[in-house]
Amino acid sequence: MSGNRASFWSELAQLATAVGKTMGVTLRNFLRRPVTIHYPDVKRAYPDRFRGVLALTYDRETGEENCIGCRLCEYICPPQVIAVEMLKAEKRNYAKTFTLELYACEYCELCVQVCPTDAIIMLRTVDLATADRRELLLDKDRLHELGLADEPSWATGTRLRDMQAPPRAVKA
Amino acid sequence: MPDLEARKVIEVGYAGNERLVMNMGPQHPSAHGVFRAILTLEGETIVAVDAVIGYLHRCHEKLGETLTYVQYPSIASKTDYVAAMTSELAYVLAAEKIGQIEVPKRAQYLRVIAAELQRIASHCLWLGTWCMDMGGALGGGATVFLYCFRERETLLDLFEALTGARLLYGFHQVGGTRYDLPAGWAERCRSTVDLIERRIDEYEAMLEGNPFFLARTRGVGVISRELAQEVGVSGPLIRGSGVAYDIRRAEPYSSYEAFDFKVPVETEGDCWARYRVRMVEFRESIGIVRQALEGLPPGPISSRPGVKSVGQVRIGKGETYARVEGPRGEVGCYLVADGSAKPYRMKWRGASFSNLSVLPHIVPGHKVADVVAIMGSVDPVFGEVDR
Amino acid sequence: MAPAVRDLIAAFVLLNGVIGAVTYVTLLERKFTARMQSRIGPYRVGPHGLLQPIADALKLMMKEDVVPAMSDRWVYNLAPLAFLLPCVLVFGTIPFAPGLGLADLNIGLLFFLAVSALEIVGLFMGGWGSNNKYALLSAMRAVNQIISYDLPFIFAALIPVVLSGTLRLGGIVEAQQGGWYVAYPVIGQLGFLAYLIAMLAAENRVPFDILEAESELVAGFRVEYSGMKFALIQLAEYAHVIATSYLGALLFLGGWLGPGPSWLGAIWFTLKALAVFLLVTWVRWSFVRIRVDQILAISWKLLLPVTLTLLLAAAFVVTYQGGGGVG
Repeated sequence: MSGNRASFWSELAQLATAVGKTMGVTLRNFLRRPVTIHYPDVKRAYPDRFRGVLALTYDRETGEENCIGCRLCEYICPPQVIAVEMLKAEKRNYAKTFTLELYACEYCELCVQVCPTDAIIMLRTVDLATADRRELLLDKDRLHELGLADEPSWATGTRLRDMQAPPRAVKA
Repeated sequence: MPDLEARKVIEVGYAGNERLVMNMGPQHPSAHGVFRAILTLEGETIVAVDAVIGYLHRCHEKLGETLTYVQYPSIASKTDYVAAMTSELAYVLAAEKIGQIEVPKRAQYLRVIAAELQRIASHCLWLGTWCMDMGGALGGGATVFLYCFRERETLLDLFEALTGARLLYGFHQVGGTRYDLPAGWAERCRSTVDLIERRIDEYEAMLEGNPFFLARTRGVGVISRELAQEVGVSGPLIRGSGVAYDIRRAEPYSSYEAFDFKVPVETEGDCWARYRVRMVEFRESIGIVRQALEGLPPGPISSRPGVKSVGQVRIGKGETYARVEGPRGEVGCYLVADGSAKPYRMKWRGASFSNLSVLPHIVPGHKVADVVAIMGSVDPVFGEVDR
Repeated sequence: MAPAVRDLIAAFVLLNGVIGAVTYVTLLERKFTARMQSRIGPYRVGPHGLLQPIADALKLMMKEDVVPAMSDRWVYNLAPLAFLLPCVLVFGTIPFAPGLGLADLNIGLLFFLAVSALEIVGLFMGGWGSNNKYALLSAMRAVNQIISYDLPFIFAALIPVVLSGTLRLGGIVEAQQGGWYVAYPVIGQLGFLAYLIAMLAAENRVPFDILEAESELVAGFRVEYSGMKFALIQLAEYAHVIATSYLGALLFLGGWLGPGPSWLGAIWFTLKALAVFLLVTWVRWSFVRIRVDQILAISWKLLLPVTLTLLLAAAFVVTYQGGGGVG
């Protein structure tokens, strides 16, 4: 805006081209399809390994509860949201109570990682919004209910540990 | 007794009249988090800046003492929550250094891919929030913000397919990584990275020649080379001021010496220089990801057995400091191990904490509107600052 | 019917029409902007968001009216009204079609420009009365900016006056029957461009929206207003934008002139005003804002000399061609 006449016109031309370029980019995006997904009418596809809400599982063949009350998940949970009491029985142990405070859960998947019987898993959904926080304090029955209701993620304890462990031949 | 003299605010002489003390408080649309800046103004010119931090303190260093080596990497993401992969990497590198634990080649390449994709995602967020601060949430800034986030979402989709989480991953473990690539991920990664490269061309077209953008960033917030080295800034800030220091080159970790990439350096030290540095880093990171995908060796992803219990990893006595080049600068973890499953002491060196300390030096003399431009180009994340 | 009663009814209809149009213009802006940003605007309230403005209006009416404790009561409470009145008053002078205008004054343009400049008073009252440093800072910037840009705005608006020879808005449109003024070689295009830039600045639209700079001053002079007073301020702002869009369409784009029967004129006029509005919105959502000293530099060093030169050139051309004179 100051300086000799030639630089004024060249600056003005520069200004005009830059303005044109910027508005051109905006116009190009105007003509693109929006990326919005109309949730909850349409849900996006969650990937296989999605870390959703936690749940407890039953054994597929026998229908027994998988959880043996070993408390490994309770010890490894970083924010300590799991509380388990073991119930000793003849052939195997069970969990007497199993509470999980979902409102404080970090969804880090460490509990799933350590479970020796693949009892606790994560589901491929996070649709658990409620109006009352107490509904997010999941007890054992609710966790089993969730396990039956929704689709589980790919990750179970066995699979995660197998993925991490070096194959036996290559042990350094 | 705390040294009150040491907190004397740096003032710039200005032949004006009245002074107005204005608070850019912790709740502010452009504070990039919770940050309080007490500005002393004369008219529109800033005379002094007093920065107050600590609003996001969550006792990470104490958590590091109470959580084991197996648990903490998932929590380490929360320091620099925008670039979670690099924070986790610093911690596990420190633990591996003390324990002399070898990391398999494949895990190293996976870490590189994760770190570079995270750098691209973090720079997308930087560009979007910076333009939004400068352009207003009701204006052109919001447009660039939404474009950048649209691209960032594609990267987060990639991370979601890899780990299951979009923002805080828990991807690293002592000895390697926790997840391997699912089927088809490499192809998807390549096409995502190609898409982002094309979109970066669009952003540059929108911003490079834009006279308004240039007017806001040229000559604003100049960090001289001496000041940068004196105060201890790192990352794009120091590379924008003429010092070619990149930890990936200076002290390569996790097999970075095998990759061919350029370290961008600019000499002016203003916001525009830092912008250019980060835009080149976008493209270099894309190059590194392509090289890593190409050369990804088969093999195990961890040199230790899969995590089965909370006290599984025990590191012998020793102490070390491990640093990584995060998107914001040098992220470091100082670890003192005592032979048990938990560290005796862990300290984080947050990149943004040191970068923010340059503000009282460079902001005075500018106008109020420049504070947001400078803050955005410093790109702090307050999880790192306050820990 | 007595003319006074007829005028009163016409004014009432116009006022309600303006308010209704302004609320729906906000929806238009939101959907247009959303498409530029790869998203959809309001969608769920009513089919494709058509009831969104009504929902917003109801929400604002139901909000609590908070008055800051140490504010200057009278100034604070009257500021929204003082801001709204000039912005709505100018609609009275715009002729929407030949004979379909509330008051086609023969000093129409002068009235429009003078009254619309009065909004600064309301703005400053809002900034001062709020007892808030952000608001005060913003009000001071606003006064600076709007006064600086009113001059180029007036000069750019005077170019069609010189070319047509009348201050009456209806007369300016009639003089464009030979060709719209924007098609006038060089002077028309540059004049229109200067008008648009000055309009952006006089409306506090990005890239000149330093006064409300969201990321620095949160909401500028509006920061302490909530509920119905905020609604009035929003209404006033958008009404002003629409009014100046109408003025731009009238001065440069030929007002109600267009192909087809004459009763389509009002529709053409509205379409042209919306086109100007959308152009301004397109610019708004593409650029970052610039600093206040740079804004003032553009006004005083670039726009003012350019518009003055254009005005002199227009006057020279008109005298040389032998037409005109102010009638």
